[in-house]
Parts: sequence; C-alpha cells; structure tokens
Amino acid sequence: MANLQSEIRNPKCIGVLYAPGINCHQETAFAVEYAGGRSAIVALHDLLEGNAHLSDYAGLIIPGGFSYGDHLAAGRVLAVHLIARLSEELRAFVAAGRPVLGICNGDQVLMETGLLPNGTVAERAGALTQNRSARFESRWVRLRVQPTGSFWTRGLEGSLLRVPVAHGEGRLVRSPNAVVTPAFLYVDDDGAATEAYPNNPAGSPGGIAGVVDPSGLVLGLMPHPERALLPAHGSEDGLALFRNLVRYCAEI
Amino acid sequence: MPIHAVYVNRADDPEAATLLARLRHQGHAGLVGLTIERVYRLEGDIDPEALLPLLVNPVFESGSRDSRLDPAAGPIVEIGYQKAVTDPETPSILEGARALGVTGLQWARLGLRYQFQGITAEEARRIAVATLFNPVVQEIVPPERVWDSLRPTGTPEPVRRISLAGLSDAELARASEENSWYAPLCQMQALRDYEQQRGRPFSDAEIEIVVQSWSDHCYHTTWKSLGLFQKLMAATRQIDHPAVVSVFKDNAGGMRLTDDWVVTIKGETHNFPSAIATFGGVATKHGGVIRDTLGFGKGGFPIGGSTIMGTMDPRLADDDVPPGALHPGHIVRESIRATAYYCNPMGIPMMYPVYRAHPGYPKCLALGHSLGLIPSAYAQKERPRPGDAVLLFGGRTGRDGLHGATASSAQMTGETAEKEAAAVQIGHPIIERKFMEAIPHLRDAGCIRAVTDLGAGGISCAAGEMGEHTGVRLDLDTVPLKDQSLTAWEVLLSESQERMLAAIPPEKLAEAREILRRHDVECTVIGTFTETGRYEATWRGEPVVDLEMSFLWQCCPIEPATVRPPAPVERTGTDPAPVDDLPSVLAAGKAVLAHYHCCDQSPAGFQFDSTVQGRTVVGPYGGKTGRMPTHAYVSAPLRGERIGVASTVAYNPFYGDLDPAGLARLMMVEAISRAVAVGADPAVLTLCDNFYTPKATPEWNWALTRMVETIADLSVRLGTPFISGKDSSSGTFRASDGRSIDVPLTFVVATMARVPDVLRVVTKDLKRAGNRLVLLGRLDPERLGGSVYADCRGERGSRLHDFGQEWAAGLKASWVRLHTLSRQDVNPVQAAAAIGEGGLFARLFEMAYGGGLGARLELGALGPGRLDGLLFAEAVGAFLLEVDAGADPEALFAGLEYRVLGEVTAEPGLELRLGGETAGISLAELEEAWSRPFGEVLG
Repeated sequence: MANLQSEIRNPKCIGVLYAPGINCHQETAFAVEYAGGRSAIVALHDLLEGNAHLSDYAGLIIPGGFSYGDHLAAGRVLAVHLIARLSEELRAFVAAGRPVLGICNGDQVLMETGLLPNGTVAERAGALTQNRSARFESRWVRLRVQPTGSFWTRGLEGSLLRVPVAHGEGRLVRSPNAVVTPAFLYVDDDGAATEAYPNNPAGSPGGIAGVVDPSGLVLGLMPHPERALLPAHGSEDGLALFRNLVRYCAEI
Repeated sequence: MPIHAVYVNRADDPEAATLLARLRHQGHAGLVGLTIERVYRLEGDIDPEALLPLLVNPVFESGSRDSRLDPAAGPIVEIGYQKAVTDPETPSILEGARALGVTGLQWARLGLRYQFQGITAEEARRIAVATLFNPVVQEIVPPERVWDSLRPTGTPEPVRRISLAGLSDAELARASEENSWYAPLCQMQALRDYEQQRGRPFSDAEIEIVVQSWSDHCYHTTWKSLGLFQKLMAATRQIDHPAVVSVFKDNAGGMRLTDDWVVTIKGETHNFPSAIATFGGVATKHGGVIRDTLGFGKGGFPIGGSTIMGTMDPRLADDDVPPGALHPGHIVRESIRATAYYCNPMGIPMMYPVYRAHPGYPKCLALGHSLGLIPSAYAQKERPRPGDAVLLFGGRTGRDGLHGATASSAQMTGETAEKEAAAVQIGHPIIERKFMEAIPHLRDAGCIRAVTDLGAGGISCAAGEMGEHTGVRLDLDTVPLKDQSLTAWEVLLSESQERMLAAIPPEKLAEAREILRRHDVECTVIGTFTETGRYEATWRGEPVVDLEMSFLWQCCPIEPATVRPPAPVERTGTDPAPVDDLPSVLAAGKAVLAHYHCCDQSPAGFQFDSTVQGRTVVGPYGGKTGRMPTHAYVSAPLRGERIGVASTVAYNPFYGDLDPAGLARLMMVEAISRAVAVGADPAVLTLCDNFYTPKATPEWNWALTRMVETIADLSVRLGTPFISGKDSSSGTFRASDGRSIDVPLTFVVATMARVPDVLRVVTKDLKRAGNRLVLLGRLDPERLGGSVYADCRGERGSRLHDFGQEWAAGLKASWVRLHTLSRQDVNPVQAAAAIGEGGLFARLFEMAYGGGLGARLELGALGPGRLDGLLFAEAVGAFLLEVDAGADPEALFAGLEYRVLGEVTAEPGLELRLGGETAGISLAELEEAWSRPFGEVLG
C-alpha cells in the first residue's frame, strides 16, 4: 500500500496525485516504477496544507477515478481545488518544463483546469462530456499514435496501441478558440480514425482519445495505459508511454 | 440568509436524449422533446458569479440567474432532495466554494428540472413518479415553494415506552404487525416474559434492537433450526484445509494465497430491496458486500466484484407480470444502471456479471460477491476490550433503510412494496471509496482492534455484535445525522449506507482520527466498550436502552422446524421429442444461443469497469472481438508477481425445479470445473455458497436440508471447503391478486482458488487450425433435464445430467490431470471450457467465436443417442478442450473418459458430420442470433 506521507522527495520522482475518489493511483504509481522510474503518491490534502509541494516532483500524473464523486461534472471539483489554490504552483511546474499526464478522470480534470487543450490555467477551452451512448464504457480499444512533436509520442508515431477504456464522459467538446493537438485517435478495424461506436466508445469527434497542450508538456488521454503494461494484461502497449515519461524526467 | 439560484443548461445532453428514447420506447409516444436543467440553490451572503467556475464550464454549459425553460414549451417537473435530507452533492459544492474563497456559502441544494414536450402535466408527473426519483429521500419540488432556509430541518418523535405485559398471543401478533417488527410469535412471547422478569416496560428502541438482532436476516433462524449451519461448518472443520484462515465467523471467508497475503470472498443477496426499488437495492447490494471485505479481519481491500441477477423473463408482456411486482425488464435495466453507478466509482473490477430468468422470480435474486486482499498478519480480528472507543466513520445517518433486516426476512406482498419503501437504502459510492482508501492505513498503523460494517440493523446490530462479550454504552446524540428528524430508535436502526464501526484502543484514537481526517472521512466516537455485559444507550440525556447482552444473544427462541419430503410427482417434467437431422439441430443451436441464459450479455457487462486496479488477467469477456464470455475471472493481486487468484461462479435457476440434491451437486461441480479450466489449482480452492429459497414450509425445509447435506458431504469427499456463505429463506411473493409465487430453489456457488502462474492461464478461445477438439468427461444425451435446450422447446425435461456423489467426487481425477498439464512448460491443452448451459454446442460456438476460427465435429465420435442430446445436454463436469495437433490425446488423458470429436478449422463456422452427411453454419449467422436478445432487453 502506498504511503500518503509522500516521504520521497527525490527530484527525479514522479508524483501520482491522490484526491478523494481517485481510484487508479496505485497501479499508475506501479506503472512508473515498472517503466524504470520512481514514483510517490502525493495527496492533494498535503499539497493544500503545504506538507508537500509540486516542485518536489519531476513530473505529475493525475490518475483515473471519480474525483469528488464527479459531482457537478466529471473532474470539476478537483479542478476547482487545483486552479483556486494551486494555480501558481501548477503554472510554475509547467513553466519549469515538467510534464503533466492526465489519465481518464485526470484528463477530465486537466480539461476543467484549462491546462488542456490550450495550456491556460483557469481558462477553459475544452471539456470531456458524456459519451454519446450515455453509458459507462469498459472495453479494449485500439489507438493510432499521432505525431505531436512532443516527447510523449517519440518513437511511437503511427503505431497502434491496444489498451482498455473505462469511462462515462470521454467525448471532447471545444470552444472556437481551442488549440487541439491530438495525440491518440480511436481507430476502426482498418486502422482508420473513427467516430463510430463501439471502436470509439465515447463518440468523440475526429476519433480524439488524447491531446497534448501547445507546449507539449501536458498530455491527457481517456484510455488507461497503466492497465496494458504487463504480459499478464494481454497487452503491454501502454508501457511505452510511461517509458517516454520516465526517460524525459531523467533528462530534466 | 438570502437564497440565490443558478440555472445550468447543457447544449448537448446525451442523458436527456437517451431518457427521451427510453420513455418513448416505454410507450410515451406523445413525448417529442425532453430537456434537463440543473438548478443550484445557494444560501448565504455571496455573489453567485464567484461560484461560476464550479457550477459552469462555458465550453458546454450556460449558467443564468433565471430558468431558461419556457413554461409554454411543456410541463416542468423539478426533482430535489426532501427538506430534512442533505444532498449527496452538497459537501462537494460547499468544499468547492471554500476553495474558491467564497466563505459566505451556508448551504446548497441541487434540483433537476425536467421539461417534457408534447405531453400533459399529468403524464409528466406520472413519468417522474415512476422513473425519476426515490420517494424515500427525494420529492417533486412544488413550483410555488418559497424557501426560508435550505438547511435540513425536522423534529424527532419522542421515545415511546411500550409494555407487552399481559398481552394475549393475538395481541402480541397484532403489536408485531402494527409496528412493522415482523417478529414471530415465539419471539414476542420471549419479549413479554423478559419484561415481566425485569419489571419495567420497553422503550421502542429496545424492542427494535431485539427484533432486528433476532430476524432471519441477521440471526438465520431458519438455518439454525434446521441445523444447516452446523452441518456445513462441521464439514469444513473436518476437511481442515491448510490454506483456510477464516471460516464463516468473520464478514467473509479467507484463504492463504502466499505466506504474507490472504484472499477473501463473500457473497451477499439483497433481494427484497431490489424487488421493490431496484436502483437503490442493487446499488446498496454492492455497497454492502464490499463493506464485508473492508470489515474482514482488521480491514481488507476489495479486488473484485460480481453482480448476479435472477428475474422473470425481462421481455415479459406487461399483463403477465404478477400484480404488485415490478416489471422484470425494469428490474434488469435498473440493476445494470445501479451496478455501473456503484461499482465503477469504487474502482473494483467486475469479475462476472450474470443475468438469468425463471418465472418464479417476481421477488428477484440480487446477489453480489466481493473478493478481497489482506496481509496475513491482519486476517484475524481481536475482541474489543473495555475502554476501547466505538468509532463510527463514513457517511451520516439518515432515514433510509429502516426495518430493512426485518422486512427482508418477511414474505413480500404487493403491499409491502409500498409500505416498506423506506426499507430501501440509498448508496453514495464516493463516501465508501474514501474509507476504502483509509482503512488499510488505519490497519497498518495498528489503530484497529476490530472493525465491522453497518448493514442490516445499522448501529443497533453492529454495536451489539461487537460488544457481545464485553458490553457497550452509546451516546446517540453524538451520531452525525443527515436527517434531523430521526428519533432514538431510528438512529439505532437506520441502514444508511457507507458506514463502518471500529473498536479503537484509546491510545490510538488520536492517530485514527488524523488518518481519517486526511482521507476526508467523517468520524465520531459514539460510545465505549464496557465490562458490564449490557447494551446501554442514551438519547437527549436520558437512558433509552438497557438490555443484557445475554438476553440479546442467547435467548432468541427458535421454533423447531418440520421437515417433510414432497410428494414425488411434483418434481418431474417431460423431455422434448428428439430432433435427429443435422439442419434441424443447427436451427436448434441458433435458438439455444439466442436463449437469455446463453446469449451475449456484454451489452450489460461492458458498462462495468473490469480492468481497474491493473490486476485483471482474465476479465469477464475476451477473445478476438472482446465479447467471448470467459466464465472466469483471474486476478494477479500482487502487482508484478505471477501468483494469481481465480474466481468463478455457477448459477442455474432451472435445475432446482427437478432435484434439490442434483442442483446443489451440479453447481459445485460447475463452479469448480470453470476454475480448473482457466488454470486454478483444484487443491487450493475454496467455495462460497448463497442460498435463496421460498418461505419455509416442511417441504422446502426438506429440499434445503437435502441440498446442504449434499454439498457438505461432497466438499468433504473433494477436500474442497466452503468458507463463506449466506442464506435467504424469504423467496416468496404474494401478488395483489392473492397468488403466492415461490422462487425456484436457488443455490449459487462461487470459487476462490490459487493460480500458481498467471502467465499459464488457459483461455477459451480457439488458437490454431488443425488442433484437435477433445471432450473430457461423461456426456449422456438422454439427460436434458433443466437444460436451456429443453426450455427453448417449452419443457423442463425429466432428469438432470447428474450421476450422484460418487461420480462427482471422481471428477477430481480429471481436474488434477488438467491442472498438471497446465503446469508444464508447454501446455498441450491450448483452450479449455467447462460444459454447462447450452451444452457442448454453446461452448463450441464461444470458443470458435473467441478465436475467429471454426470447428469440424464428427458427431459419430460422440457415441450413440439422440443428436440434440449430444449437442445440448448440459454435461456439467465435462470439458471441451483444444489439444495441440502434435500431442497424443491418449498419452494426455489415459485412464479418464475422453473422446476426440473433431478439429479446429480456419473457416469461421461450425461443420457437423454424421455418417456421410454434412451440415454447416457460419459464425456470423450464429453471432447474429446470439447478439440480439440482450440488446432488446436494454431497449
């Protein structure tokens, strides 16, 4: 079991955020370690009370779950905590070239903070809204990695990844001024981007399953790479993403 | 304080769109449009604009101070929580406001405003009452309401003093009924005598505590009077399995996985609440069984869950639903919604979602399992010690779920559905998720002496059970309430969900409070464990409960049960006439795959997260398309290690119509066979039983006894112990028209077994053309009793595919052989499936479909006998195997009953050969038939 005290303060350590309702932090922290990095679970509580600081970490992952029960809207309440009380720390974190990854609920949180898609804390330009099916969708999907010019997709451009999704709100909507750089697209059996159910379980426009911000430091994706990591998972395709993150953090 | 309103509208709202489609599908043809507007009511000296980042994302929402709904466009119905009740979202809104620096916000409420276009206000109201809210806690907000304050208000009733002294038996029975105690006469008499002995009348709270604690639901009076508990426990004791660490006593059963880790299993039914208010009933079914894992030992962590629903046929015509019962289609759909609502936020992977139907289920089966993981060092509870704090943590206490334990123990009638709607609890998974995270920290910090969940009977039962050997004193005024109108007995009895009770050593109390605070879990010391041997409670400063623990736990009168075998003619059916030509059996095969029990149930299952926690090796579905049912779940609970745990379930509502002992035996065999097929070690395999039987009569008692004797004996013969179980003997529904409908004898077996190496699991999907297909085990084509095929033909059949205890015990040889093969470096068995519902044919289809391959079968190899029987007899205990083309089946299976049936082909279809004749069918055609039914159920 992970330690909420966040004792590890190694500058190369990647912080995995825990807030009430997040439920993928353990396996996400494990994925970082399995990819060769170091990880520590950092409680939002400790960040808000000043017992821990974002600057203690080389990178930040907001994992999946139902933060604050997804009350009001998916990821909304956690995002409000981040922008109202940690916005300077967040801005400084990204300005210092440190990466932020949002997976599933984390992706929804990043949209609600404004960090995605435009990279503007507290100014929202996108949201992940209810799936077209109005259902939670737990399935294996295939993604085509897009060239983003960022370290996240380095060496993976054009490849296909088989990973699970599990969410009820994954349909991207954006404002006219949104700058959307897709990193992952849902594809059909022929490998082409699709909006059709169920290969695109959310009905997300253009098949978009994940985006990076203009700086290339912030990535959000709805599928769960940490669940396609080990030989026992039946797919190890998610590992490459964590390897890219760990490698990048080692070079900071 | 001023009250503000912010109205939020979403431009594109799939929820409104699907609700519109569903209502139209249900016959509201005039309904042409539906809009959902959210209204936040905010009390305090605030500027609502400051809250907009919390309430509105302008990318897809708009917020305004006035409603955007034009009243001329159609009737508007607003649903909100009742005045005395706290909204589940209120804490999030208050906390979000504080984060934004808005400190003046005192309270908040959320309302959902539905506008219906094209129908009358009366029809809109009917829709709202039928589908949009739970009357226990929510209400239709009258449009003319003027809010003076949003804060919950209410005044409790005073404590009543009740004397039973001198009451006649008839008067006692009336008192029991009028107060909804549902206590049998012998218990009422015991209460009357106790009053006489101690010389003072009862408080209402005292009687409520006693009747809850003595209810069949909590005390298992039926089982105890029949001696059934004792039989199963004796069998498990006799087996004395070295891996078993906890049996029957704790909230779950535990089995050693490694030296350091124990895995646990528990199955719990929530039939009555699910039958009268499905959404709340099923949601809390999950919440409750998950808390059994959290309350195991000194606190377990859930790593798997299930949902098992038995209803009438969900496609039944409205007129065929017994009056007073909910429509089974509604039950199935609402149960799916509830399982997704509760299990997904919990972050616990779904192991097996199972849906079955039988005409006897107006009072449905709603069963859920929970698999858990706990360090060996914490697998045993201690007894609370005098001076330990009684710490209540989790959600607040409200009006939901009063009388749940006693009402669910009673026979359900068309009227109970309305009278006891308050017996249905409301579930909020976010609260439970928070303490699920906190409990391992509390445990590892040494804060927990003992912990248990609050389920049936609420604080009353949990505190009473924990304090049985010491005594307990509670101060009910300290219990945090979400409904201010609760009186003392209601505080004690409330079955509000998401609450746990722990005994905390005094020197650890501060640390425990700090851990819970850091996890946003509310906690309160509500009392102390004492050394008085008494159950004491005060409310508003005065004593309201003072009972001897010895009376509560040792004086429950149990009426002796009568056991009488039924007349033999009651239990036979007829077999369908044989179908013996190839084209006809293929057509029958399509019908079997389109049967509710064999069809593709993934449209439900895909709504439940099966991969969260990153432990899933084999999920509920697999194969090329991801839709092949696996009939097994395999977890790798220790991340990065290869040791695994498998869990499977067997549930068949038809077999019990023919033979109780056969049902019991076959369920055990089927569950174990499924686990062994996927790679579980049959030597380290434990079982969990769940019984659901009609209201006790001498005949049903006989059937129940036969079942328990059968499984106790078979478990000893196999060395496979039952370590956890639950029974419900209240499966009788009395319809408003006077008809009495019994559930079919229902016996569900789940396994929990060690998998030595998760990289060597054997999946069902066919792997390679040219490999051989082998049937391992006995197949008797004449035994079609209880089969899906017979049901397709409108018959129950006459004889189960069952050959008695000796046969069942002898199956162990094939289990050990299969397991030995799976431990080899290269397993010649490349795919395996346990035969059951739908027979050989259904497994063959699933395996071929999973692999995107085909199969050619020589039916002559199956032996003589009716053709339909060979393909559709449910040969439980037999396996269909794909064996490597290079392996010699005789070398693999010498000494066992086996037959080579045919081979895997590249063409995705099934080809049957008999003599010189050949017939085939494409997988696409079968897939079409197999895919359709569940989509129709979901509407």
